Amino acid sequence: MTLLAPAAGRAVLAWAALSALGALEATGATHFLVVEGLGGRRSYAEAFREQVETLLPVLRETAGESGSVRVAAGVEATAERVGSELEAISAALGPGDEVAVILIGHGSHDGRTYKFNLPGPDLTDRQLKAWLDAVPAARQLVVSTTSSSGGALATLKSPRRVVITATKNGRERNATVFGQYWVEAFSEPSADTDKNEAISALEAFRYAEDKVAAHFADSKRLATEHPQIEGQQPGSFLLARLGAAAELASDPRRRGLLERREALERNVADLAAGKESMSEGEYLDALQEVLLELAEVQEMIGGSEEEGP
Amino acid sequence: MKWATGGWLVALLLAVGPLAVAQRSSERGARSAALAPCDADRDRGRAMLAAQCYRGVAAGADPAAQAEAYWMLGDLKAANERFREAVRLDPENPDLRVRWGHLYVESHQAAEAGQLFEEALELDEDHLPARLGMARVLASRFEGKAVELAEAALEDAPQGVEAHLLLGRMALEEGDLASARESLDEALANAAAAGVAPLEAYSLLASLEMLEGEPDNEWVRKALEYNPRYGEVYADQAHFYVITRRYREATERLRKAVAVAPRLWQAHAELGVNLMREGLDEEGRRHLEIAYRGDPYSAKTVNTLRLLDTYPRFETHRSAPAGDGDWPQAELRLDRDEAQLLLPYAMNLTLRAIDEFSDRYDFELQRPVRVELYPNHDDFAVRTMAMPGIGLLGVTFGYVVAMDSPSGREPGAFHWGTTLWHELAHVFTLEATDHLVPRWYSEGISMYEEWRADPRWGESVTPEYIQAVEEGQLLPVADLDRGFIRPRFPEQVVISYLQAGYICQLIAERWGEGKLLELLRGFADGRTTAENVRQVLGVAPEEFDKQFTQYTEESLGPAHGGLKRWRRSLQTALEAMRDEDWEAAMAAAEDAKAAYPQHVGAGCSYVLLATAHEESGRREQAIANLTEYERRRGRRPETLKKLARWLEEAGREAEALHTYEGLLYNWPQDEEVHRRLGELYLAAGRPDSAKREFEAVLALDPLDRVRAEFDLARAYVKMGQSARARLHVLRALERAPTYRPALRLLQQVRR
Repeated sequence: MTLLAPAAGRAVLAWAALSALGALEATGATHFLVVEGLGGRRSYAEAFREQVETLLPVLRETAGESGSVRVAAGVEATAERVGSELEAISAALGPGDEVAVILIGHGSHDGRTYKFNLPGPDLTDRQLKAWLDAVPAARQLVVSTTSSSGGALATLKSPRRVVITATKNGRERNATVFGQYWVEAFSEPSADTDKNEAISALEAFRYAEDKVAAHFADSKRLATEHPQIEGQQPGSFLLARLGAAAELASDPRRRGLLERREALERNVADLAAGKESMSEGEYLDALQEVLLELAEVQEMIGGSEEEGP
Repeated sequence: MKWATGGWLVALLLAVGPLAVAQRSSERGARSAALAPCDADRDRGRAMLAAQCYRGVAAGADPAAQAEAYWMLGDLKAANERFREAVRLDPENPDLRVRWGHLYVESHQAAEAGQLFEEALELDEDHLPARLGMARVLASRFEGKAVELAEAALEDAPQGVEAHLLLGRMALEEGDLASARESLDEALANAAAAGVAPLEAYSLLASLEMLEGEPDNEWVRKALEYNPRYGEVYADQAHFYVITRRYREATERLRKAVAVAPRLWQAHAELGVNLMREGLDEEGRRHLEIAYRGDPYSAKTVNTLRLLDTYPRFETHRSAPAGDGDWPQAELRLDRDEAQLLLPYAMNLTLRAIDEFSDRYDFELQRPVRVELYPNHDDFAVRTMAMPGIGLLGVTFGYVVAMDSPSGREPGAFHWGTTLWHELAHVFTLEATDHLVPRWYSEGISMYEEWRADPRWGESVTPEYIQAVEEGQLLPVADLDRGFIRPRFPEQVVISYLQAGYICQLIAERWGEGKLLELLRGFADGRTTAENVRQVLGVAPEEFDKQFTQYTEESLGPAHGGLKRWRRSLQTALEAMRDEDWEAAMAAAEDAKAAYPQHVGAGCSYVLLATAHEESGRREQAIANLTEYERRRGRRPETLKKLARWLEEAGREAEALHTYEGLLYNWPQDEEVHRRLGELYLAAGRPDSAKREFEAVLALDPLDRVRAEFDLARAYVKMGQSARARLHVLRALERAPTYRPALRLLQQVRR
């Protein structure tokens, strides 16, 4: 993790995710490209297929009608196809739209070039960078769940791009478990650490990172992959809406309430930022006041009936 | 002391391997005649004259003599260089390599010393000093082969001194005082005949009589008359006090050692380590620093000083003052990163143990028990042995217990609850007998107490133990200490632990638990094991051994003679599992289980059966097998978590709770265990316990911190503590302002 030290990261970056739901409505749509690479062995091919199939409905829900989800899988998932899909996304982009490219499969690194294994010529990190640089999206996200994916980090890095890889560098060559946990994050309530009924790129990463570490600790093996994240504000890159959030996002009648809620969330964030200037009692009283109002707005918005006390 | 399962044990004794003694007979390799007058002064404690004499030799041209002179002058580096030169000039001379080897013995590098003795033996396979040197190295590691080598040397040179000294020392370490006296008397007579300084013989005889109850005896006086600066006589006594775990007495001897020989650096180091065992860290540091200044080559000294440097990272937590003494009974020293998580469990367990053991062993603590938990296993190893890399889990020095923290080992590799219980039992057996309890009995009681505390605790019978029973390798009760101190084969230590535990179990079952206390009192009165068995149990030790053999065979049941069948069936079961032939796997695993039902190690029948039943859609049978696995001390956290989940899914919450509670003492770093326990406690109307579990989740710095704060708030609501509930729900909402359940809870507990 190169963004922040973990302890501080969790506390601070949670704020970046606060307005994720609203941010999407305010900025634009998200266009997803999911590429399923070669599995090699049957067990891997099946695992990659299952990950893609689990992911697609989630992304479609997030993209909604204004965004899009494109998939390249099987024999058609060539490097050339990736390029043409990105061209098509470029053509469809609206103002403020975001683009996410998700690579699921195996990768390799020869010391200089990262390659994502596809039918025909593999997709290289330089090719992908060139194509992505040509996509005029406000922000981009690239997730590579493959072995050696960390080898692509330096190449893909860009001020308007968040890059997530399963490994620390190109030398971590073993098949990874990161992808399975990253996909799992979208159906796991505990991954939604800010409880806004949405999973951001940061939350999915954190969840998978924790699970990967536990996977190796529990199996008493040295970790052969160390997930990485690079880029600005990954907490505000929305990947999935959970429960009622999906319904709410597409309901224009509740837009006013959502805006009110967003304003109250900002009040909470402002209060927290000025916490040091108050006594603890004052801070908690002020926080309670804003939150009680927010509770009323939430009730008016309606939606999820998550388990309560 | 508790060992790591399957780990090789070097007993506590390593902490004070025998000190090198200034005995320079030709049995330790021939030396230049020019050194003789210097040695005579040195042996008599005439340090100034000796130094002057050695300086003269060092100024000469013979590199071997120079090496010896520099060595005696304390310049080990120059001595090493001169020995290298001497060997280069005379490579075929085995004596040179033996002498060089002894330099390495003295500078704490036994492996290098052993290498040089090996090289000498390659030059001359019968070279007596090399054989004796090798025996000394092995003896310093408490290896059984040392006795064999020394006895063989003695056959070739019965008039020698060294072999008798070695055998005498090893007999003392094993507590065989009669054999020790015989060997030492021979050594003394032969030394006189050969004109060799009798100091080491005096020193060991002084230790012998100390072990017989008279520390300040005539041999101490004789040694100091011969050489008033011979602090080794006290240091040797301390060594034997330490291996019989009488640390206070050892400290007192070591203080005398450094008083008569202020430049005896190893005694300063031992004193430092020993003071730390008594909890006197600062005074310990002072002596370790003195030792380091004089002898920077000691890894023990350096490691212990480094450990002391880590102590600011630890927090000390004391229990509330209890009883008439108005002092806390327990002090826990925990790494600050895990103190919040471990404190409630470790403190509760410690106080429960103190309560139970005080009653059962009729002993009231005279000062607080200090428990130190080390998340870094090497820190623990240094704390206990002053050398990293040792496979022990816990050690008790009287009122101080040091052990690995649960995070010091991999999940499932270490049950910290049972280890702490084991060590705390030692506090009582040691202190109630003023440390006179023999090692086997103290370990036996600790093992027995583990089994008694919880059926899931303690050790299970291992294939090695069964094999030892079948091959008649168990030791007679009167000699059982030998299995701990100088094992004759690698598994003997672990086997001896189990045997000691089963002996205590037999006594409790056949003679009644009260006899365990009577035996302890007998040891406190200074009785030997044989005398105690005879007096308390009313049987001869030989008769007791017969009864124990019969008891062991009966309690092993089908496992006695069943190992071959077990291995065969287990292999068949594993192959069938790989082929997913569940019916065949179940049949074979059932047979393996019938052959050795106590086995819960890797690939055990219970887990195979549970998997096969689950895959065949028979959840109830799967649960039954894992329940049996747990009952028989199965330890894998993932397997036990699966059992708990299955029990919850089956609506058997009380049993699930029991399983999760067991996991707390096994792998408390698991967030899910604490979370599920919290929920089950809440559902069972036990919000206090739920609060503890949700606090544990928070202490683990969870990914889902919001949920953890919210859960804690829920527990406080159930406890009727609205203010605390409000605080935690606000902490949750501060991070997740739209979290609906928390908002609703806030509405409920608002101020």
